[in-house]
Amino acid sequence: MIDEDLAEYMLDAASKHTPVLAEVRLESTSCMQLALKAGQVDTIASSQDAGMNVKIFFASGVGFSSSNVVSKAEGLRLVRQAVSQAKSARRKSPCTLSAEKAVRTSWEVRQKKSLADVTTEEKLDYLRSLDSAALKTGVKVQGRYYDLKDWETTRFFGNSEGSRIKSFIPRMKVESYNLVSAKGETEQSMREWAGSGGWELKDEWNLLEVLPDEMRMLKKQIEHGKRVKPGKCDLVCGSEVTGIAAHESCGHPMEGDRIQGREMSQAGRSFISEDMIGQRLGSKYATVIDDPGIPGSYGYYAYDEEGVKARPRYLYKEGLINEFLHNRETGSKMGLVSNGSSRAESYLREPIVRMGNTFVAPGDFEEDELFGTVKDGVLMNSFTEWNIDDKRYNQKYVSREAYFIKDGELAGPARKCTIEITTPAFWSAIDAVTKKVRFDAAECGKGDPGQGMSVFTGGPMLRLRGVSLR
Amino acid sequence: MNELKEISQHVVEVARSAGADDVVAEAIVTEVKQVRFSNSQVDAVNSWSEEHLALLVAIGKKVISSDIRTLTDLDPHARALVSLAKKVPPSKTYEGVAPGRFKYRRNPVDGMIVKLRDPSRFVHEAIAGAEGFGANNVGGTFYAIHERVGLASSGGAVGADESTAADLSVRAFSQPEASGHAVCCTPTLTGMEAKKTGERAGEFASHARDPVMGEQGKFDLIVDPLFLGSFIQSTSSMLSAMRVEISNSMYAKKIGKRVASDEVTFLDDPTIRSTTRRAFDHEGVPTRRNVLIKDGVLKTYLHNTGTAKRFKTRTTANAGPLIPSAYGSAAQPMAFHPVVVPGDWKMDELIADTKRGLYINNTWYTRYQNYSTGEFSTIPRDAILRVENGEIVGAVKNIRISDNMMNFWKSIDALSRKAQEIYWWEEAAPPSTLPTVRAKQMTITRSA
Repeated sequence: MIDEDLAEYMLDAASKHTPVLAEVRLESTSCMQLALKAGQVDTIASSQDAGMNVKIFFASGVGFSSSNVVSKAEGLRLVRQAVSQAKSARRKSPCTLSAEKAVRTSWEVRQKKSLADVTTEEKLDYLRSLDSAALKTGVKVQGRYYDLKDWETTRFFGNSEGSRIKSFIPRMKVESYNLVSAKGETEQSMREWAGSGGWELKDEWNLLEVLPDEMRMLKKQIEHGKRVKPGKCDLVCGSEVTGIAAHESCGHPMEGDRIQGREMSQAGRSFISEDMIGQRLGSKYATVIDDPGIPGSYGYYAYDEEGVKARPRYLYKEGLINEFLHNRETGSKMGLVSNGSSRAESYLREPIVRMGNTFVAPGDFEEDELFGTVKDGVLMNSFTEWNIDDKRYNQKYVSREAYFIKDGELAGPARKCTIEITTPAFWSAIDAVTKKVRFDAAECGKGDPGQGMSVFTGGPMLRLRGVSLR
Repeated sequence: MNELKEISQHVVEVARSAGADDVVAEAIVTEVKQVRFSNSQVDAVNSWSEEHLALLVAIGKKVISSDIRTLTDLDPHARALVSLAKKVPPSKTYEGVAPGRFKYRRNPVDGMIVKLRDPSRFVHEAIAGAEGFGANNVGGTFYAIHERVGLASSGGAVGADESTAADLSVRAFSQPEASGHAVCCTPTLTGMEAKKTGERAGEFASHARDPVMGEQGKFDLIVDPLFLGSFIQSTSSMLSAMRVEISNSMYAKKIGKRVASDEVTFLDDPTIRSTTRRAFDHEGVPTRRNVLIKDGVLKTYLHNTGTAKRFKTRTTANAGPLIPSAYGSAAQPMAFHPVVVPGDWKMDELIADTKRGLYINNTWYTRYQNYSTGEFSTIPRDAILRVENGEIVGAVKNIRISDNMMNFWKSIDALSRKAQEIYWWEEAAPPSTLPTVRAKQMTITRSA
């Protein structure tokens, strides 16, 4: 239960210091974690957490103070501490915030089957069924680790401008690690499925078929995969590869705080600057959207951590740099309002600019049409190793599952196909996009201390012409 | 501290009375102050206070753990967890808690860190230091951390520990694509060299001016301790017996075999003066200096009580937190303070001895195709200085190291005589004491 009176008490105490803005967040979370290692129960852990924070904005600085002790006395201590910290910042340029409407509302994600009603034994049985499905394939799976985590979070947000927002969001995720071996070689698979909702999410994931297919696919990659001859050819990206590219080389460089330098010593800066809005970065087929409002998504939220209503943001639009992700502080610096991008991992961390669900907009091609005009190319369905530099300009993806395309038809497996490419080169090479969008769940890393953030990445299949592969 | 020890002892008694066979209780109180800065000014001053009790209970082989996020009125929580344990299925691989009554070292605590009121002054000193070397844009973080722990177990362990740490991370830019990064990690505030850290970052940024596109090919790499810290993260994690058990490590089945060059001796030593000195692991076993790789040969994995029994050896006192992280188990073995034993090279000798190489300040985003084989790539950042015929001749940008991690460790032929404690964000982690090293003929790639 959230003590809303405590939040009011803290806001009253904070307002006496006449800040530009005071924010208070109260939160409680219940969590269950289970893991199965090589078929055996490895971990069962359950926790209940509750805590609160205060964020104070003065023109001269920002102070954030949090605690997992929930009481009036602690609330008052947090307010005093945040005020003192904000005053100690002594900023040269004043801290400003965009003007936003005060909101009084509540929102929640409903569960068809409540996570709290599913027993530990049922959850473990589910993990066991995944493990045995992988084993029944007959593929030699020498590494087997599966974990399941579900958690329900209740939050209350209030600020000195009158916003009061209550929310409830349940989430569940399954992670798998597998190492498949054949012919004395191995291939690794580390995957994640997650969403907002209840126990019904597992039915959508269909892992009893997906995981065995993954084992069989990896075995084929080892047994029949051939290396790509280095050079230029066409590349078709499956939605998993599309999604990671959208997240890494569009979502991240379009974060307002990164562009303004706030993450410069950690996650880095951006090759994009404030004055590049409207500049061309990709072909007309490159439209990338970040939309926190996708029902059931892992990155779902209705209002952000500053009480701003979430909405779709068109980051790249038909190849042009269109809209950055903003909170109230970064938006204000550009003379704009927030577009609802403020998120925090928990009450213990300061809210910062984050993505929700980032994906490439669908086009008008059917999937089988995409290969028709490819004489010599590769379909990269999924990736293993990947990275991108801290200005988000040079990225690399190595395939987990890939196939050659010869004269418009899929040929045999291509093993460890690698693309190493700049961001403009990737988005400029697209000349066709399919209709169907698929999503993958991921944990996005940013902030200091690091805040793992629940997101979807995704999109349709993309066709890139004449890119260098090896 | 005794109060936390007593809380843990009491919880062990309550859980035992409720029917638990094995219990480990660890009460933890943490106070953290942080200053974040960028564009040469403070962005936010943050603080967080946490008090909680990590509790593991077992009835036979039925095991469950919980993070109880309070230190008051714990009895109902302990009894509830024992009730839950009765309902969970057994874990066949559970091997019990560490038996024994132990004596622990007392670690010194810095009262100045505990009482620190205005950490911003260190940030202003660091910014001034970097700007003195030509930086025009400086960012980073300053942390002051105070942690107290009390632990008790049904095996007989009862102990208390306390630690303090101050960490400063400074990234300085002299041009939009020319930067340097330096850190200072110290258990006492008197060891905080804020200005000097800023100066070092500024000096790197100055050397990194006007970078040109890097070339592909084979280069000898001289890597700063900060860079090496990023490799230590994945390398030390793969030395955990838990990672070995699930074939998620290039060190599986390699005990007694060569896994690095003769020059490399790799330890985990939480007993030395550092920001992560600790008296006991999360099972209450006294920590010790463990030689993991000696003269290039793998000697042991990191163990807790359970993995040690399964591997028919003794625990190395590396049990990790009782509450698991992603892809992790309760008490999963982990390194607390990795150390690479320094060599005998001076820095100027290392550079003078290199014909075609790169001197690299930092890296990030180290990712693996396959942990069991070690293929990886990483993206150098901050100063990447070209070395030709023993001299630094300029800076490069936009390169990637695409190689094999086992090959990296086997290719090390020189280590500096000086070592430094480093920690940066969650890339160069856990806090480690490392020299500068040279790895021969590593593969550099770049965007086509």
